[in-house]
Amino acid sequence: MKGKLFCVLVTVAGLLAFPGLAFAHHGVAGYDMTKIITLHGTVTKFDWGNPHCVIYMDAKGDTGEVQHWTMELASPAFLVRAGWSKRSLKEGDDITIETHPSRNGAPIGISSTISFILKVVVNGQPLPTRAG
Amino acid sequence: MRNRIASLIVVLVVALAVASILRAQSASGSTPAKKVGRASARPPDLSGNWEPTATGPESLRRNTWDPDDPYGQHPEQAPMLPWAAEKWKEARPPFGAKQTFDNTNDPVQRYCDPPGVSRIYMYPWEMTFIQTPKTVYILYEFTRVWRSVAMDRDHPSDPDSTWMGDSVGKYEGDTFVIDTVGYNDKTWLDHTGHPHSDALHTIERFRRLDKDTLELSFTVDDPKAYTKSFTGKKLFKLTNSPMQETLCVYSEMQSFQQNVIDKTQTPSGK
Repeated sequence: MKGKLFCVLVTVAGLLAFPGLAFAHHGVAGYDMTKIITLHGTVTKFDWGNPHCVIYMDAKGDTGEVQHWTMELASPAFLVRAGWSKRSLKEGDDITIETHPSRNGAPIGISSTISFILKVVVNGQPLPTRAG
Repeated sequence: MRNRIASLIVVLVVALAVASILRAQSASGSTPAKKVGRASARPPDLSGNWEPTATGPESLRRNTWDPDDPYGQHPEQAPMLPWAAEKWKEARPPFGAKQTFDNTNDPVQRYCDPPGVSRIYMYPWEMTFIQTPKTVYILYEFTRVWRSVAMDRDHPSDPDSTWMGDSVGKYEGDTFVIDTVGYNDKTWLDHTGHPHSDALHTIERFRRLDKDTLELSFTVDDPKAYTKSFTGKKLFKLTNSPMQETLCVYSEMQSFQQNVIDKTQTPSGK
């Protein structure tokens, strides 16, 4: 992971007191739940469907370098209950999003499970969040 | 003549009195009621949509029915017989102490197999009951699977082996009791990959603690796989949110596995 590519690196302590506590239908074993990074860029695709909604985006670094990121979210059932919809974002939208990054350094993260929704701002408007 | 009329009046009065007494006895139940089998009292009201509570060992965070290990942090301590322990070691579950994304063999995640009665309660989705005198139906949001619980019979002597088993139920005061046998052995007992045999026998006890809270006491009884039975509890809360479509679709699961999960496992993320 290139540190310059991302705006903020935040360490979150205690979230993994119990592995699997931050719940998804398949767990969160592949993600580093002790870290949150913030990405800024453009939505390239928004998959609204089971088993999980997925945001694809081009994230821009300080030097203009673009990296293609994939963010896993909760299933539509849970996002709807939090106030999201299939129209919450679309291709071409400006997006700032927090995510727990993949442990292997791949440009993949998890931004929402049934327990939490990290910060997501689309075209300057924040989407509903949920504290874990 | 007068004596005859008087006698007749006395007889009529006595007859009316006896009839009145008999009616009163019948209303008070002092005469034996017809045996109606499983349910003669008003059943407890289990209506509404129920979702797991959010925190604690009896919440959606529960991963096993072991009362000593609700989160599944020590799944090896479950009272497994040797063959079951060996089979459990092969499990690569997405939850608990052995959680992994690497080549998981979780049958639900990998193949969209039905989670089974025991495990479906460990998913965070809703359920609802439809109570009729002869059958109670339980509808589960996850995978949109449902069960029918027979209220007017016992188990067949030789039930088929099915994913959800054969369920019979009764009301014990404020508790709805479901007894299920006839399972196949293809599901995981829980989120940590504990196996079970086709001799699995489960007992569910649902009790509405208050208007908004439902308690499930779940007993696992499988002498072919475990040295003793054990019971765990879960709590559910009433919710106004409608049940959504949450199917497990193999093609969607495969696409997600390839596009997201697998990429978290390769060294370069490719």
